Order: sequence, then C-alpha cells, then structure tokens
Amino acid sequence: MERFAIVGRFARNRGALVGALLILVVALAALLAPLFFPIDPLRIVGAPELWPGEDPAFPLGTDSLGRDMLAMIVHGARATLLIGLFASAVATVIGVSVGATAGYFGGWIDEGLMRAAELFQTIPNLIFVLTIVVILGSTLSNIVIAIGIVSWTSIARMTRAEFLALRDREFVQACRSMGMGDLKIIVAEILPNALPPVIVLSSLVVAGAILFESAVSFLGLGDPNVASWGRLVGDGRQLIRSSWYISAIPGVAIMITVLCLNLIGDGLNDALNPKLRDR
Amino acid sequence: MANTVSRRVFGAGALATGLIGKTASSFAQGEPKRGGTLVATWGGGEPQACYVPAGGGSSPTFSSSKLFERLGRRSMEGAFEGELAEAWKPAADFKAYAIKIRKGVKFHDGKDMTVDDVIYSIDEIWKKYAAAAAMTDYVGGESPDSDTVIVKFSKPVPEFFFSSLLCGGVNYIVPKHVYAGSDPVTNAANNAPIATGPWKFKEWVRGSHFEYVKNDAYWRPGFPYMDRMIIRYVRDPAGRAAAFEAGDIHIGVFNPVAPPDIKRLTGTGKFVATPKGYEESVWSTSFECNTRNPIFAKREVRQAMFHAVDRSLIARTIYYGYARPGTSPIFSPNKEFYTADTYKTEFDPKKAAALLDTAGYPKKPDGKRFTVNLLAAGWFTENGKIGAIVKQGLEDVGIVVNLTVPDRPSSIKRIYTDYDFDLAISNQANPSEPVPATTQYYTSDGIKKGVPFRNASGFHTDEVDVLVEKIKVETDATKRKTLVVEFQKITTREASNLPLVEIESITVASIKVQNHSNDPNYLASTWYDIWLAS
Amino acid sequence: MAGVIASSSRRVAALRLLRRRLFQAVPLMLGVVVINFILIHLAPGSFLELMTAENQVSDPATVELLRKAYGLADPIWLQLLKYIWALLHFDFGFSYRQNMPVIEAITINLPATLLLMISSIALALAVGVAAGVVASVKVRTFWDTLVSVAAMFFFAAPSFWLGIMMIVLFAVKLGWLPVGGMMTIGGAGGGVASVLDILAHLLLPTLALGLFYAAIYARVLRSSMLEVSQLDFVRTARAKGLSRNKVTLSHVLRNALLPVVTILGVQMGTVLAGSVVIESVFSWPGVGSLLFDSVSSRNYPVVLGIMVLGTLVVICANIAVDLVYMWLDPRIEIR
Repeated sequence: MERFAIVGRFARNRGALVGALLILVVALAALLAPLFFPIDPLRIVGAPELWPGEDPAFPLGTDSLGRDMLAMIVHGARATLLIGLFASAVATVIGVSVGATAGYFGGWIDEGLMRAAELFQTIPNLIFVLTIVVILGSTLSNIVIAIGIVSWTSIARMTRAEFLALRDREFVQACRSMGMGDLKIIVAEILPNALPPVIVLSSLVVAGAILFESAVSFLGLGDPNVASWGRLVGDGRQLIRSSWYISAIPGVAIMITVLCLNLIGDGLNDALNPKLRDR
Repeated sequence: MANTVSRRVFGAGALATGLIGKTASSFAQGEPKRGGTLVATWGGGEPQACYVPAGGGSSPTFSSSKLFERLGRRSMEGAFEGELAEAWKPAADFKAYAIKIRKGVKFHDGKDMTVDDVIYSIDEIWKKYAAAAAMTDYVGGESPDSDTVIVKFSKPVPEFFFSSLLCGGVNYIVPKHVYAGSDPVTNAANNAPIATGPWKFKEWVRGSHFEYVKNDAYWRPGFPYMDRMIIRYVRDPAGRAAAFEAGDIHIGVFNPVAPPDIKRLTGTGKFVATPKGYEESVWSTSFECNTRNPIFAKREVRQAMFHAVDRSLIARTIYYGYARPGTSPIFSPNKEFYTADTYKTEFDPKKAAALLDTAGYPKKPDGKRFTVNLLAAGWFTENGKIGAIVKQGLEDVGIVVNLTVPDRPSSIKRIYTDYDFDLAISNQANPSEPVPATTQYYTSDGIKKGVPFRNASGFHTDEVDVLVEKIKVETDATKRKTLVVEFQKITTREASNLPLVEIESITVASIKVQNHSNDPNYLASTWYDIWLAS
Repeated sequence: MAGVIASSSRRVAALRLLRRRLFQAVPLMLGVVVINFILIHLAPGSFLELMTAENQVSDPATVELLRKAYGLADPIWLQLLKYIWALLHFDFGFSYRQNMPVIEAITINLPATLLLMISSIALALAVGVAAGVVASVKVRTFWDTLVSVAAMFFFAAPSFWLGIMMIVLFAVKLGWLPVGGMMTIGGAGGGVASVLDILAHLLLPTLALGLFYAAIYARVLRSSMLEVSQLDFVRTARAKGLSRNKVTLSHVLRNALLPVVTILGVQMGTVLAGSVVIESVFSWPGVGSLLFDSVSSRNYPVVLGIMVLGTLVVICANIAVDLVYMWLDPRIEIR
C-alpha cells in the first residue's frame, strides 16, 4: 500500500515524471550504444569539422579529428551515467558509514567524525578532486573515487541526524534490551528507517558527480580512453570561431541529464519525505 | 593522400614566403626608423626565471637571448659569424681551437668582458649545464693573451661541431663577477640578468611582462634601433590573436595563435606569417619503442609500429597542414646532413601486419596480437590527439592499446626515469649539428636514467655506437656527411625512435615590423636589428 | 535600558562565538595541511625531478645539493613539522620555481580571483533574491514558472560550458565583449576607461560563475518565503494592517534569508573551486591558473599555500555567515 502511495506521489510531480522518462532514454542509449555504434566511438571515421547535417552519415557532425559526434555522445552517455552512479555509490557508502557511526555512538566518536566531515567540506571540493586525479592518475576508477571522497559529507550529516533522532526510539531500545549487537541494530533496525532522505540526497550526488566529471575532463584530466562529454566540450574550445557546435552539443547532453536527475531528486523528495515538501 | 598533404604543406609555405617577400620589399622603403617600443610574445607561457643556465626550455631561452650573447651566430645562409668572438680556428690536430675575443665589449653594469668571463662561462656554465652532453671531451681552457682563449679537447673535434657549440643553445658568455662562487642555478641574477646584449633588463612584472631597454653601450655601433622591448605573456592563443588585432602585440614567435587564426590575421593584410627562422631548431613529434619490452626488442615489431600509423593524417588534421611526415632523425631543413635516401616506414597496415606475423605475433583467435601501454606526453595538447590516431592505427593491425596522457612531470618521470611505457609520443627540437642532440637518442651513452630527452628506448647496438664515435671525431666535412647518412639509414631501419612529423613553426608579425625572422633560430637570437615602421 | 542590556549581551555572545570558531579553526587548518601535504607527496614526479630535468642536471652530487636547497632532503614527517612550524609564523615557504616567497606569488594572483568571486556572489545574491521574491509573491503565475524554469536551467548547466557558449555569442558572433583576460593588453588608457575595461572583461565570467548560485538562491528563497509567510508572526503583522509590501520585505524576507545565508557560507569553497574552472575558460589571471601551473610543476609550497589560504577564506566566510545569522534572527543564540 505504502509503496503505491510513494509511486503515486512521485508520478504526481510532472517534472519528475518527465525527468525519469528522459533519463530512461539516456540510459537506454547508454545500454544500447554498442548496438547502434559497434565500433570504438573514438575512431576517426570522416572528414574533420563537418557541421551537423552537412553529411547525412554524421547527423551531429564530426569533431576536430573527424570522429562521429553522435557516436561519442551516445557512448559518452554510458561513461557519464556509470561515473555518476559509481561515484554516488562511493559517496553514499562512506557517508552512511560515517554518519551512522557518529549518530549511533555519539560522544567523542561523533565529535571526531563530524570534525573530519567539516574538514572535507572546508577544502574547496573541485580543487581537491583535481589534485587527487593528477596524483592518482587520470583513469575512470580514480575519478570515481576522487568524486566520491569529496561528495560524502552531506550524506553523512543527513544520516547522522536521522540516527540521532532514531537511536532512542522504543523499537531500538527494545532491540538493545534483547541483547542485539550494535552493528545489527545499525544495519537491520535503524538504517532502513533512516534511508529515505539519504536516497534523495544520493540521487542529487549523482547529478553533482556528473558535473564534477565533466569539469575534470573539460580541464583535460579525464581518461583519454573514454568518450566523455566534458572532454568533448574541452576539445571544441579551441574551435569556437569555426565549429562551436563541438562544444555546444555535449554541453546540452550534460545539461539535460543533470536537469533530469535534479527533477527526479525533487520527485523522490516529494514522494519519500512528504513532510519536507517545497523545500 | 600523400599528395594532398604535401600540396597543403607547400601551400602554407608558399603563402608564407609570398608574404615574406612583401616584408622584404617594405624593408626597402629606406632608413630604419629609430626609437619606439616593440611588444613581442611567444606561443607559450611565462618562464620560471628570465635566464636558466641549462636552457630550461623555449620560454627562458626566448627571454634571456635578448640580453645575453653567444660567441658566434649562424646566418640564414648557413655561414658562421663572430659575435662576442671575432673569429676562431682549429689547431692542426683539431684537438684545440683558438678563439679571438671581441675587444671593447662591456657588460650592462659597465665592466669589461674579458677572457676570464669566457673561460668561466665555458668551464662552469656550458660544461656543467648548458652544453654538458656536447662537451664530454672538453679538457679545459686557457688564455695565452688578453684576447685569445684556447679551448682544448681530448679528441679531434670537427669544425662544424665546434662552431655549432659556439653559436647554439644558451651557450652565452655570462659575467664571472656576478656568477663566480655562487650556485648558477639559484643565482638571483637569473631574474634580472646582467649581460652584454643589445637589450638591458629593466623590470619583470610577474604574470604580465618583461621590460627591456636599449643598451646604449652596445658594441655594435648604432644598434639597437628601438628604445624599448616588452616581452608580454598571454596565456591563450585566442587572447594573443585578439591582442594582435588590437595592435597591442607586434610580433609573436613559435605559433602564437591557433592555425585558423593565422589565416584570419594574414587575410587582413596587416600581418605576415612565416615559417622562416626555425631552421636551427626544428621541432618534431617523436614516437619511440621501449626495447626493454621483449616484444619491442624485435626490429620487425618496431618497424610495424611505424607502418601502422598514418603520419600524413597527423600532419593534416592535428597540425592543420603546418607539419610534414618525418622520414629521418635528421630533419629535412638540415642542409648539411639530411638525406631522403633512408629506410622508409610508410603508412601500410598490411605490411605492418605481415611484419608482426613474421616476428612471431600472429593474431590470436580473438583478433588481437598483444597489449601495449601508449604514453603521450601531455606537455603539448597535440600529443594527446596524436595518441588517439596512433591508437587507432595500432588497433587496426590487432594491437590492444592502453593510452595515457600524463601531465608534464609525470610524463618526464615515466618516459625518462622509470621507463614505464611500451610506446611513447614525445618531442624533440634539434639543431643542424647531429652530435649530441640527435645521436644521444640512439647511443648507449645516451641512456641516462633521470635525464630527460635522451635515449629512453634503451636501444643500443655496437654498430651505432661506433658510427657515432666516428662522426664525433671526423674532421673532414665530406666524410662526415657520409657517416651521418649511414647513421640515418641505420636508425630508420632500426626504428627505435623516429619522428612522426616535423612541425612547421610559425612566426606572426605586424607588417610594420622590419628585420625579423632573419636568424635560423629566431626565437633564440638577440633581435638587435629589429625596427618598427610607422 | 532593557535594549542596552540585550545588545551588549548579544555583543558578548558574538565575541564568544568568534573565539569559539577561531579556536575550532586551528585543528581544521592542521587537518587541511596534513592531508594535502601527504597527498602532494604521493604524486609521481617531484619538484626536484622536474627542476633537474629542466636544468639537465645528471651529476648525483648536484642533485643532492639541490635536494638540500629545496628542503627536500629531510624525511617527510620532518618536512611537514617544519612546514607547520613556519606556518605558525605566517611563513608560507619559498617558491623556487618563481624564486620568490610563496605568499608573494599568491598575492600577485589573489586580487583577480577575489574580484571574480565577490562579483559572482554579489550577482548571485542580487539575481537570486530578486527572482526568489518575485516567484514567491507571484506564486503560481507566469513569473513563478519563468523563475523556476530558468533556475532549473542554470542549476543544471555546467558553468564552463555556459561560459564558452556566452563567449561564442557575445564575443565571437556579436563582438560586444572580449573573449578573455582581465584587461586589454595594451591598457585601456587609465582612469575610468581602465575600470570600464576591467568591467567589460569581468561580465561574462561573473555571469558564468554566478548564475548557477543565483539559481540555487532563487529556489531556496522562494520556498522559504512561502514557508515563512505562513508563520504566525507574519499573519499577526498583516492583521495589524501593515501593507503587504512592507510585511513581505521587512518581516518575511528577513527571516526567509536565513537558509540562503547558510548555503552561501557552506558554498564559499565551491565558489572558489568554481572560479578555478572559470578562470581557465576566460584566461582570467587568478589563483586558479597559478594552482594549475603549480600542480603541474609539483611546486608543493605554492599548492599548499593556496589550499591553506583557500581554507582560511572558507572558514572566515563561515564565521561571517554565523554573525550575519545572529543579526538576521535575534532569536537565535548560536550553539
């Protein structure tokens, strides 16, 4: 029953529905990319700097080297979504562990962990990501880890607040008196109740991670073996006088994806936290 | 395919020479105009110091070469001329050279330049930093009288080699009274040099520009024509193009603006673009195989790598035609030593595949032969793009490629210290004299862990080592040329490290600028005779 | 009488807060230094290697000499302690790359970045607050929808991309504004002309960086305005017969600004980081470009110095936010 109510509330938010549908399209494109464009999207297949529509074989044109823009955009969807999801997963795992520990145990553990969170919140985030990527090397997994490391603090705070509110409730007290271990209480009892707001936040972290990755790639620190939208924007930057579409198209792709994820986040917020509507 | 490329290259060249012709004619308009301020820039960033004793790359070379001078210079026609030296000549056994020092040259602080300054510069600056690799056989210098320096070597030294040493790189004459007793690398005078050149250091506004003023006591009477020179740093090519258009920059060396902007600027008729002035510093993009990997210890595999890459595509798309496929480690503008008669590794994927088959690396059932780490040095953005083209070429012959484009320090460390690569894309800028600049990429004494732009491939054979030793000491010019031709045939056949393309560097200047691009390494010359027409 | 006591006790509270915050800042700074110090030393390729490479030094003795000169001969923990010790004396170290003290190298570039940051925040506040107020006053009208759609757009568009697109439109196609840099290279002629010149260069980067934050503020302010206007004291004020505009501006807006101020404080670090990217797009000669050069030459002292100063800016901004918070909401006694 409750579940249907959630879906219903989500669906009532028109923006969220549109966002979810569009993301579905992007995800399908990502999934089916190898089917439509079986060869490596980074291959040179035509003349360089063909404008969109100039050659029917390349509906979105070609870049400065003669690579198919459409193939790169579609394959880029894959990399972008994967990076977003994995980075968000890393951030959620770190954030939930830290937040749960801090909120559940309190005391000096709480104080210490929250200080650490403050520390990570204080260091200018993108600068930190760039430094980590330069140091660890520009591979996909390093970029994911770096984004995860700077994105967990808000999740930790939210989790901690939920745990603080829940840890002294009757059902937790009951578990304790039954002699249940701390870990089991945290994972099996409190966490499921604390999750809804955390899920909303995680979905927003996905959007943030995509923006981070695009900035990293834009600055030329992305993985050169991956067709990334951000890098494409950066590649096109030298050619804004003659071929500005090279920068424009992937930017639109980033924007639509992030926009949809934000809409979905809003929808989830409405659906999962009816109390917090309009925030 | 190849035809279109060469036509495009020549097209660009012809266009540029046509425009240069125009400069020459406007040059004939009469007496040089005196006074005024010249604003110059180059296609890179601000240097770490105004003068770096070891060179430190193009940026400090550009800023320091307006202040410091060398003993000699090479003319556009190829003749060696005296600058701070009046003349030099070898002893009968070619193991010593007598240099006659110019009289009446003063440093900017008013002190006379003497033979002591020359000997100090050679002993402490050239031998240790500026030309260490070229001076392995240097024994010492002495001055029998106040205007002669005798430079002694343990082996015979060819005259072309010695003259190139005197006229090349950052082999400047520095003031002994400023540098003696200090660590030259960290001497504070490197940020406000005292030298002998036509321009005197006045000010360095960090993040913006150098200001130099006319040296009134310059030894060439009547020079320089202009009162001031500003070397302005602009971070990006688009900004430089805008500054040119606004008339805020008069001349920019070493590709100051992006190729599409070169055409736009020259199209206005207010600017010229020329590939002249880079004959003694030809840049190339090199591609090398790490022979420590047993796969690349096989010559056939190395040759196959080059056969698999479409070099004309690189020249066309990445350099917009301002480059030409490389055929030899000695570059084609080198009048003394270049030969076209080398082993050819032209673009031919079928041949590459056949070579790989015979080398014992046939395609496995999954269509792949082996996996390689391809490192494209990230100091030029072009290198990363070339990496993509090389990767594609190799994949087409069944090689799995893992491309990385590390930043400058990581690239230097991985290529030249850790040898952590299978294939590397790097760059070389070589003068005409092949020893040691070119040869050190192929000899066993060029393998110096931790020293960049040396033999990182690990390739060495007795054949090449012996040949290079012969080139080093052969004092007969004709015989020496034969040896260098032999060297080119062997190295192109061995294919351990060859140029993918020779890059055509471009100078852009306002048509008002007179007497420019008149030195075979114009970026590194003194610009004593430049002037600005009204 | 009562008013005087209240205000002086609030001043005491403010001072207590200031002391507490400054006290907390010390371990925070220490943490920043330690993390970044370790991180930077993990990077492949050291400053020494780069310098020896550029100076073609291969003689081991010279290498050792340079290692000592650069202060890299000590074990890392000792280098760290020395660095912290120097930092306590406000000594940020020496940059051998530029041959000048680190603090000097940074202060050359700092004004440009601060200018960009401040103008972007000002723009974000002005546009965000105006849009938020309009949307909440005209709730569920065309204007509300317009603000929401615009906010959605600017919240999702990557700032660097927005910057490039604006360059294409306003600089390349229309030719109204310069493509980059902070001032015309030859100088604009001094005086008012120079100020106008810098403003013309500042406009596009400010928009690219600021509109993202304007979108956030507009959204947050709208919902908090709607929330506050439902509260009792607002209804009371309206019942007292105060004009609608006056109630909106003096009562509702003042209270509704609280979450905006909180976000502003939290995001100060993000604005600084964002300016790094925008500086790259517009060739803005700020700290961002220095940071890039320094990271890519492994110039540790400068990188650390920028991190430490950046953190300091964020901490100061947070303290300022707390104080503004106190001023905006007299009921709040901060923790």
